[in-house]
Amino acid sequence: MSLKYITPAERFKRYLPKDYVELVDFGPFGKTQDEAGPGNMGQFKELVEEHPMCSGCWMAYYIRLIFASLPCPEETVTLGTAGCGRLAISQAAVPFIYGNYGDQNAMASGLTRAFRLRFPDKQKDVITIAGDGGTMDIGFSMTMHSWIRGEKFTTIMLDNEVYGNTGGQSSGMSPKGAVLKMAPMGKDFEKMPATKLAQAAGCVYTVRMSPTNIKKAAKIIRRAIFVAREVGPTFIQAYTSCNIEYSIPTEEVFQDAKDQEKDRFQFEEYMTDEAKEVIERVEAEEKAASKSRKAAKKAAAAEAV
Amino acid sequence: MYYVAKVNSDQCADYKCTTCTLYCPEANTLMFDTVNNTSWVDEDRCKGCALCVYVCTDMLDRNCITMVMSGQEG
Ligand SMILES: Cc1ncc(C[n+]2csc(CCOP(=O)(O)OP(=O)(O)O)c2C)c(N)n1
Ligand code: SF4
Ligand code: SF4
Ligand code: SF4
Ligand SMILES: [Mg+2]
Repeated sequence: MSLKYITPAERFKRYLPKDYVELVDFGPFGKTQDEAGPGNMGQFKELVEEHPMCSGCWMAYYIRLIFASLPCPEETVTLGTAGCGRLAISQAAVPFIYGNYGDQNAMASGLTRAFRLRFPDKQKDVITIAGDGGTMDIGFSMTMHSWIRGEKFTTIMLDNEVYGNTGGQSSGMSPKGAVLKMAPMGKDFEKMPATKLAQAAGCVYTVRMSPTNIKKAAKIIRRAIFVAREVGPTFIQAYTSCNIEYSIPTEEVFQDAKDQEKDRFQFEEYMTDEAKEVIERVEAEEKAASKSRKAAKKAAAAEAV
Repeated sequence: MYYVAKVNSDQCADYKCTTCTLYCPEANTLMFDTVNNTSWVDEDRCKGCALCVYVCTDMLDRNCITMVMSGQEG
């Protein structure tokens, strides 16, 4: 997509669905993060529409945050696979590709390369967003090989430590001992070291986190996207609890995410020197741009007085 | 019948706050009205999880949100 395709001719507007027009008028397309970003969710029309994920689902929450953090939604494509997350990801106003189970990183490899050939002077962001089963179990070989090949896109694993969508089978990411509906004796081996595997396979930027701090979580998502544009594969492992399969009362879901920050999802950020260079440069540019926008706004306000 | 969140707008407007709107799992549901300085809930989209009650009551001790039967006034 591009901004041009999204914007309807003024005279057609009244025939279009209300949600679409709201997206054009009050959505984040073509806007900065200061205008329509994670810090002011609830004050603009967000990209994610109604979806059937469970009440109080922290994965749904993190997906909301991912879409609000995108540096350029009109030039982004997401890819996913079977699992709970796709129920919401597919309902966002960003093109979404859904293939066979676990092949999201293989498809993203081809797509990223095709974009670079077809649009050599444009920055297209490709992001795979899939569950722990889709990323680290059934899609494992395709995930690993995309990293080994150094494919330049972002992989986000929605780690709820279980197969949530199919009713509670244990996954490689479930912690040792986890008793789940279809693992009644408790899982008998350790949780897979996902970020270590990513680093060994060649990811140039990896993060493990529990997304409780909006600013920080958004910054990480953007870093992963910026680094993938220039340097190589990037990976985020985010704790996105399944309140159904882990029996967490919905009003305690946020507290649980905070508890996990001190437990299995302690913050860990890894970057190569090259990735660090990109992050420092882009964040300095963003800061300068935001500062000059604020100064211009202040000057305009002073003039109006 | 099902539960939805309801914001006490008079009470909410006393605080310079948008916190709960940032933590609702649903997009375009718990909104902020910048004119009246209060958050408000689109009842048709609310899934009744009460995460916003946790934020406003347990985290911030401001107690502006209650869970009510949908369609109920007050
Ligand atoms: C080839 C194939 N095998 C099995 C399934 C059934 N299936 C659907 S979702 C899923 C697992 C989902 O687990 P995860 O990837 O962790 O996502 P979650 O639902 O937990 O977010 C499975 C096994 C499928 N769709 N396709
Ligand atoms: S089953 Fe679990 S992960 Fe899936 S939508 Fe429900 S709470 Fe979220
Ligand atoms: S957290 Fe409470 S005080 Fe803050 S905006 Fe929400 S309802 Fe109002
Ligand atoms: S109850 Fe849940 S879905 Fe409803 S407004 Fe509060 S946080 Fe959002
Ligand atoms: Mg899972």
